[in-house]
Amino acid sequence: MNQLDLSSSFSRRQWLGATGPAFGSLALAALLPRWETCSAGANPLAPKDGHHPARAKRVIFLFMNGGPSHHETFDYRPELARAAEHSSRLLPPALEFRPSGQSGLLISEAFPELAKHADDLCLLQGMRIDTNGHHQAVVRLHTGNERFVRPSLGSWVVYGLGSEADNLPGFLTINPISNLGGAGNYGSAFLPASFQGTRTGTGSGAVPNLVNRRLSSADQRRQLEFLNAKNRRLADRLAGHPELEGVISSYEMAFQMQTSIPETFDTNSEPDSMLDLYGIRNGVSSSFGQQCLLARRLAERGVRFIQLTSNGWDHHGKVGAGVQDRAAAIDRPIAGLLSDLKERDLLRDTLVVWGGEFGRGAHEDNTGGRGHNGSGFTFWLAGGGVKGGYTHGSKDELGAEAVEGIMSFHDLHATILHLLGLDHKRLTYRYAGRDFRLTDTEGIVNQEILA
Amino acid sequence: MSPLLRIGTGVWLLGVSSFLALAETDSAAELPWSFIAPVSEGLDQDLYANWAFDDVDRFIAMRLEESDLRPNPPADRNTLIRRAALDLTGLPPSISEIERFLADPRSDSEAFASVVDDYLASPRFGERWGRHWLDVARYADSVGRTWNAPFVYAWKYRDWVIDSFNQDKSYRRFIAEQIAGDLLPADSVQQRRDQIIGTGFLTLGSLSINQGTGEAFVLDQIDDQIDVTTRGFLALSIACARCHDHKYDPVAQMDYYALAGVFYSSWTYPGQAHVSDHTSSGYVDPEMLVRLPNSLDAPLDRVRSLPNGIHTMGDLRQFGGKAPPPFDLEPDWAMGMRDGKPVDCALREGGMAWDRGAVPPRGDLRIPGLPEFPTIPEDSSGRLQLAQWIASPENPLTARVAVNRVWLHLFGKGLVESVDNFGATGTAPSHPELLDHLAVDFMADDWSMKRLIRRLMLSRAYQMSSEAQAKGMAEDPDNTLYWRVSPRRLQLEPLRDSLLQVSDRLETEPPAPGVMAGNGGKGRSKVRGEIGFHSPYRTIYLPVIRDLLPETYGIFDFPDPSSVSGQRHITTAPPQALFFLNSSFVEDCADDLAQWVLANSAGVEEGVELSYLRSLARKPTIDETREAIDFLDSLQEGEEAQRWATFLQALLGSAEFRYVF
Repeated sequence: MNQLDLSSSFSRRQWLGATGPAFGSLALAALLPRWETCSAGANPLAPKDGHHPARAKRVIFLFMNGGPSHHETFDYRPELARAAEHSSRLLPPALEFRPSGQSGLLISEAFPELAKHADDLCLLQGMRIDTNGHHQAVVRLHTGNERFVRPSLGSWVVYGLGSEADNLPGFLTINPISNLGGAGNYGSAFLPASFQGTRTGTGSGAVPNLVNRRLSSADQRRQLEFLNAKNRRLADRLAGHPELEGVISSYEMAFQMQTSIPETFDTNSEPDSMLDLYGIRNGVSSSFGQQCLLARRLAERGVRFIQLTSNGWDHHGKVGAGVQDRAAAIDRPIAGLLSDLKERDLLRDTLVVWGGEFGRGAHEDNTGGRGHNGSGFTFWLAGGGVKGGYTHGSKDELGAEAVEGIMSFHDLHATILHLLGLDHKRLTYRYAGRDFRLTDTEGIVNQEILA
Repeated sequence: MSPLLRIGTGVWLLGVSSFLALAETDSAAELPWSFIAPVSEGLDQDLYANWAFDDVDRFIAMRLEESDLRPNPPADRNTLIRRAALDLTGLPPSISEIERFLADPRSDSEAFASVVDDYLASPRFGERWGRHWLDVARYADSVGRTWNAPFVYAWKYRDWVIDSFNQDKSYRRFIAEQIAGDLLPADSVQQRRDQIIGTGFLTLGSLSINQGTGEAFVLDQIDDQIDVTTRGFLALSIACARCHDHKYDPVAQMDYYALAGVFYSSWTYPGQAHVSDHTSSGYVDPEMLVRLPNSLDAPLDRVRSLPNGIHTMGDLRQFGGKAPPPFDLEPDWAMGMRDGKPVDCALREGGMAWDRGAVPPRGDLRIPGLPEFPTIPEDSSGRLQLAQWIASPENPLTARVAVNRVWLHLFGKGLVESVDNFGATGTAPSHPELLDHLAVDFMADDWSMKRLIRRLMLSRAYQMSSEAQAKGMAEDPDNTLYWRVSPRRLQLEPLRDSLLQVSDRLETEPPAPGVMAGNGGKGRSKVRGEIGFHSPYRTIYLPVIRDLLPETYGIFDFPDPSSVSGQRHITTAPPQALFFLNSSFVEDCADDLAQWVLANSAGVEEGVELSYLRSLARKPTIDETREAIDFLDSLQEGEEAQRWATFLQALLGSAEFRYVF
């Protein structure tokens, strides 16, 4: 018999009877073994376990936009100075380098404060990318692929791990660039939009719609209670719809964010000693100092991925003065950040990443300047499970081409994910018929730099 | 006897020779299910006769019965009309529409059918369903990527999509005009011009217009065209085979370049010039547009002469760094396609532009299971044949993909959940026989979208309530078998449009076109749309500027407009709640709605009733009225209108407003 067991005189009343009594949420909870695993309603940023134990819980990425010269920052090439004596086309290193810390890492005079943290730095001297174009290199640094629109590194990280910050976005980028890929550099592409980076300044306009200009807190609380009661009734009636539970919790969280976010972004409460540690009361370094201090406050609150941007590293002319100038803006702030993180025992599990889209060549470009150099450049890492006072890889004598310990951005991404407890080969998302990953078909985790 | 007289998936009906040859030599079992022609031989109409309105219901009921589940009772009329209005028009029903439906003395089915017919006939229908297609078509008003120059004429294609849905253009024609509208015969000049505008579909790719060589750019453009065509119409990612044979589906790299040859033989006119091809016009270059013909027989040409006015990047230079005015528009200009010199496209090893390999004849696709590609005349690109090949009843994918997309928009998920991927890595259909049945009927019914939508909405399955039910919740909590109607969240467009509608702010007339200003380039924020989020127009008419979308778009899961997106993500996160609690947009809507309620009601009870009716399409219960009055009384601050606005803002932020039930 292929009939539903229906009475032939179909009536709505009978059907209502047949569907069983209405019931409340308590009864339902027991019936819903999958409640916890329903992704649509659960907070998509809820913390998730990685693939293996993590060495770092969060990332602070200091993006140096323009392609900072390694010759004037972190890669001293005495051979270049000698060779330049015989070739007018070569430009000798424009700044002095000094051995720093126990490790004796050579760090340029432009970074006197950061040099004090030499023993925390892991220099990656073998960075390489096969393009000298800003746009391609910047987008590849952020997303792994400039030919297609792909999710950014930060988006993959929060997709993989969620965030431990209850009342804050999981991925924040402070003062990002609007060109060279723009929002795509912190976009989520085909990943759900909740994994995209939130763009913010250092002020409290961090998150849209945070301030209610009309209601007293008490009246808004009443409004929220009315709303919650109404939503709760509906969720109970249509029980088992995790999205509706998500709506209810999102209101509660939003209400808390109204106070927690301004509180997080308000650095006025920090003592003067803290402002000085970050160089905030010094005009040159004030802006980046604010960013670094904010980064620490966000890290403290469990934000998973924080990006800061320093602009102006494209020194085609006068690279010595240019690097001095830019370094003056970031040296004390970064040193302050490392000190402060260490003081708070956060450096242990915070991975700090410094670098730009490429480096600069050995040859002179415009007067006293250097052109783009993708074939060899320098990144450094600190904290979060990497060796300190350590140099990995090297370039040729003139510092033009990476020859040892060569790493692509795919390798860097794989290594960052590894430190966070994620296997870059298993962190995939199915889209357009295949499983995509940040590192595409490439990426090698650099095991040698792991502490 | 089986209720399914005979519904198989392994039956070969089509007499295409390649099919038969394949069937003999190759096991059909090796093909993905979707490559085998859909077959439907009808159902015993006595089956579930006391419940089913349509064969759709019989297929649903069979599966429910197998699992010993019962379908929910019908939704009440208030719920039904709100569901239908939002699904068909993207707007809530008006109070008079609700009252008319509630008072309709005819049977529920008859009364509801007339509601559905009214909404299908409304111009608002195309504005809702057109938007679904624009997601697939990666529609945008700027190119995105490096220089993000504006697509000054993209709106013509957008309006063509809206009109196509409103006119209930046969889906076959809808396909053909987008691929080869310039090559189709036309009965009138207007029709000819419209068809050419349809090819704007192929010109909307997101490309880096200042990067690389001309050849690499053309190949990237073709890759986008292949991707949007094959994923959009066939849910097949042929673009995967650009660099190597497809890993999972039976698509070879040679097939990719056979298809690439079709586009390689065509000219693409987006209104922008690649850096390798600049004139004084710069990136924004009307000579890269087609000129719509004013006769039936004049050959289609590109724009060749520029009248005075602001048309090019060069024209904007005089405004320096100041905010430049919007572009002037010419009625005869459009984005579109034109046939070029027919030339086959050499395979590129590893997808590298200059590493040429064998040269497959264009159109020589040999994808097993798919019909033979029509012969391409020597002097043509083959786009017409590509259109014929896709929009063919012999293509096993096309109709299935289309009905599945419609099902998604009415039921919340596809019968095949991976709506853009019917290949081997996609999901299997939950109700394969139902999908095939709908596909076959859709083709037989002249590929009419409106009639397909109407049919689905007049089914029992669509009209069930969404209430919880103990057995269903316990055994099928995800509602994979359709024992109830799953609540669905309003997407950004119906959400914003509903807020405007209930507060009496919505301007239903489309805005005048001519909404793009700025030339993109290094300071890409210079490109801008002139109609913003706070404007009163329906959301579909707001320009979509890649990488510069309003923040609220991201908050409500608007898809990445650079990629084919047949299904939107659904995330539930605090920024959505903040939008309802604090945004000036919602506050303004609540203010206006409060004014309207106070002006139209006498006394607080009537005010509460009107508030519910207007925003939630139903009257409040007695308890709800009491609760609302208590809430209004509890508010400490503000004038009466402000307190009402606070109450109405809560209704607008409620899950009931934000979801369809």
